[in-house]
Amino acid sequence: MLRYIAYRTLVALFLVWFVVTAVFLLLHLIPGDPAELLLSQGGVAADPEAVAALREKMGLNAPLWQQYLEHMTGFLSGDFGESFRDGTPVIEQIALRLPRTLEVIAGAALLAAIFGVPLGTYAAIRADGKADALISLLASVALSTPVFVVGSVIILIFAQNLQILPAGGFAPFSQDPLEHLKLLLLPAGTVAITLWAVITRMSRASVLEVLQRDYVRTARAKGLERNRILRRHVVRNALIPVLTVLGLEMGTLIGGTVLVEFVFNWPGLSGYLVAAVDARDYPEVVGIVMTISVLFVFLNLVVDVVNALLDPRISLVKS
Amino acid sequence: MTTGFNRRGFLATTGAVAGGLAFLGPRKLMAQEGGTLRFALSTFPPTFDAWTSGGTAAGTIKLMMHRGLVSYGSDGMLRGELAESWDVDDEGAWVFKLRDATWHDGSPVTAEDVAWTVSEVQKPDSAAYMQGQFARITTVETPDDKTVRMVTAEPLAVLPGWFAHYHMPILKKGEAPDTKIGSGPFMLDKVDRGVSISLKAYDGYYKEGLPKLAGIEATVYADENLRVAALEAGDVDLAEYVPWQAMAQIDENENLRLDGVDGPFMYLTFNGSRAPFDNPLVRRAVAHAIKREDIVQAAFYGRGGALEHLPITEQSEFFNPDLANSWNYDPEKAMALLAEAGYPDGFDCVMLATAQYGMHQSTAEVCQAYLSMVGINATLDLPEWATRVKKGNEGQFDLAVMGTTADNNDPDGLGNVLDGSLPANFSRSYGLETPEISELFAKGRATFDSEERKAIYKQLEEVAIETTPIAGLAWRSQGYGMKASVTGFTNLPGQLTFYSGITLEETVLG
Repeated sequence: MLRYIAYRTLVALFLVWFVVTAVFLLLHLIPGDPAELLLSQGGVAADPEAVAALREKMGLNAPLWQQYLEHMTGFLSGDFGESFRDGTPVIEQIALRLPRTLEVIAGAALLAAIFGVPLGTYAAIRADGKADALISLLASVALSTPVFVVGSVIILIFAQNLQILPAGGFAPFSQDPLEHLKLLLLPAGTVAITLWAVITRMSRASVLEVLQRDYVRTARAKGLERNRILRRHVVRNALIPVLTVLGLEMGTLIGGTVLVEFVFNWPGLSGYLVAAVDARDYPEVVGIVMTISVLFVFLNLVVDVVNALLDPRISLVKS
Repeated sequence: MTTGFNRRGFLATTGAVAGGLAFLGPRKLMAQEGGTLRFALSTFPPTFDAWTSGGTAAGTIKLMMHRGLVSYGSDGMLRGELAESWDVDDEGAWVFKLRDATWHDGSPVTAEDVAWTVSEVQKPDSAAYMQGQFARITTVETPDDKTVRMVTAEPLAVLPGWFAHYHMPILKKGEAPDTKIGSGPFMLDKVDRGVSISLKAYDGYYKEGLPKLAGIEATVYADENLRVAALEAGDVDLAEYVPWQAMAQIDENENLRLDGVDGPFMYLTFNGSRAPFDNPLVRRAVAHAIKREDIVQAAFYGRGGALEHLPITEQSEFFNPDLANSWNYDPEKAMALLAEAGYPDGFDCVMLATAQYGMHQSTAEVCQAYLSMVGINATLDLPEWATRVKKGNEGQFDLAVMGTTADNNDPDGLGNVLDGSLPANFSRSYGLETPEISELFAKGRATFDSEERKAIYKQLEEVAIETTPIAGLAWRSQGYGMKASVTGFTNLPGQLTFYSGITLEETVLG
């Protein structure tokens, strides 16, 4: 088992290095000069001398390999460099913004699980009935509606028409906890809708499968009460694959929150990536991508290890 | 499947969650007189460097914190700020007399501060927006604490206007370009990068009784629809960059008010370094081939106007009514010009724009449709903005859609767009020499008499219409949306729209 974990960790580290290097090279391949962009905000003409001076200051005149080497050695010592736009250390911005993104994802996962598991289970036990059809239809709609459409509709209903929630923005929890939660609700709810559809479908399929197992039939034959069978034998067993999917989805959601953060003005990490790419702020982009890929790879690793622990066949094969 | 799942239990679980939402009450109204104005910014300033071009949202923040020697009043006329008066002396130098103003740390604003600011901006590596212009100031003298005398290489009628620019505030001697210390009506209080900027009133501001607000909370709403939603939901009191598609709904909302002016404009630039756009006849053919009203409809929901001459607004004293429709829509004339230029059957070319901003793409699409009707088959190249800038700077296009605003309402402010003697830049045509226009700009700058200047710029416009270094397309309305109860905030006329932040000192929350 230890060898398996060590092997998976090494693969994970290699993946992170590969992603960061690829992003670094791709960023420098695509056109767009950060100095020029910074000095020509609003479509004004930038003075070439000022652009040249700023390029020098940003270290953009150094050969690419030297810039790469500086980035990589910086990472190893925990230094992610400084933002081109205002000179603040990138690590500070990441430390500030990552928890906010994780908060949206965790909130979404919680909402999705609370609504998804019971509804999926209900659909399974009423399979082929009206309720099942309705829940399946809702899940299909939720899955196929783009997240910015869901976000815009939610803003229209709750902020513009009902005026019970703010349209977007951010208030630190330490300053105004209630406002913070109110502001969190819409973005987390929006992310939750897609996740809810996935969880519901997964729960339905999983419960349906378990319901047909021999031990459930045996339990029924023994005359056990229906709800007891459901609670003790069906849902508990059906939840394992659902949890695996939830874990994997959390990883993809880190990238998936980009649009949600943009639409709701939630100042998290993924939305910030868009602004950094737009401005060709290389240190920020590389730093953020590195953080996201580390998290993604780490989550996958955890899921794999947990699966290996739950299912001895996986570790036996690998070790 | 007949296994009965307990419906009541299921409802109880989901009901508990729904009950958790009960803490949401109606949003309370917070606006009040003397209170804090909540301002929706379109983007977080990419830099707080006072003299660097950081875009218009950065300009608005600067106009809260800083002051220049002069500025513009709500009528668009130049007025004194740190300078009480200014004039040209017998030797042709500009002399500014300073008023009694103080920095946010309480110390007085002196002539030394002004002289130091000019010398810092002039440094070749200053990255200041005005660096090029300020190179023309040869010496700055400070005969006393309240007098600044600026000697220029040649006579410069437009110099005071430079000091009105929001990228040209005066800073306290020795301060860093991103200093928190200014001399404006508001002091920087707290910055949450990418999120919000809090400012509070400076009680030592040199204008009696101003500012009227206790503070400003500027929050970034990068998405234009969210900005409108925030205004409608009552989350903010004032929003900049109202998207055109939302202007009608703000107009119709009795709780809100829209203040829009035609200022920024769209135009076509050409690659003059190669055929066919090195030929002025071809460029003029393009200018006559496009029906501008369709651009105004498609890109700006009717909020703007056709621009068939140089971007000089009707309200400007430099506006020439007899030239107003010189680039009118006339496809037959366009085809005749193409034939005269040797392209009777038209030609293929590449039109650069960007897919990142809908207004650029829509403008390009309308132009493409109209150009095809006279035989010019333009293939659209729509990269994202950064690539668009790069390609524009390097001349990787035949013709390109561009949108911008001039520095101010003085025609000299159009130099950035029209003057072919300036270095290559995406906001101008590429490789297109305009010696006659460059000379007329220089002549205009050196002329002090207002009537004479009008004649010079009229001549300049005539040359421009004939040679077509750019083709004007459309004015676009630039709008601020606000609660009906907000007073004192004015959208400044024409090209000055992005200077409107100056009126925040007089803004009152009703």
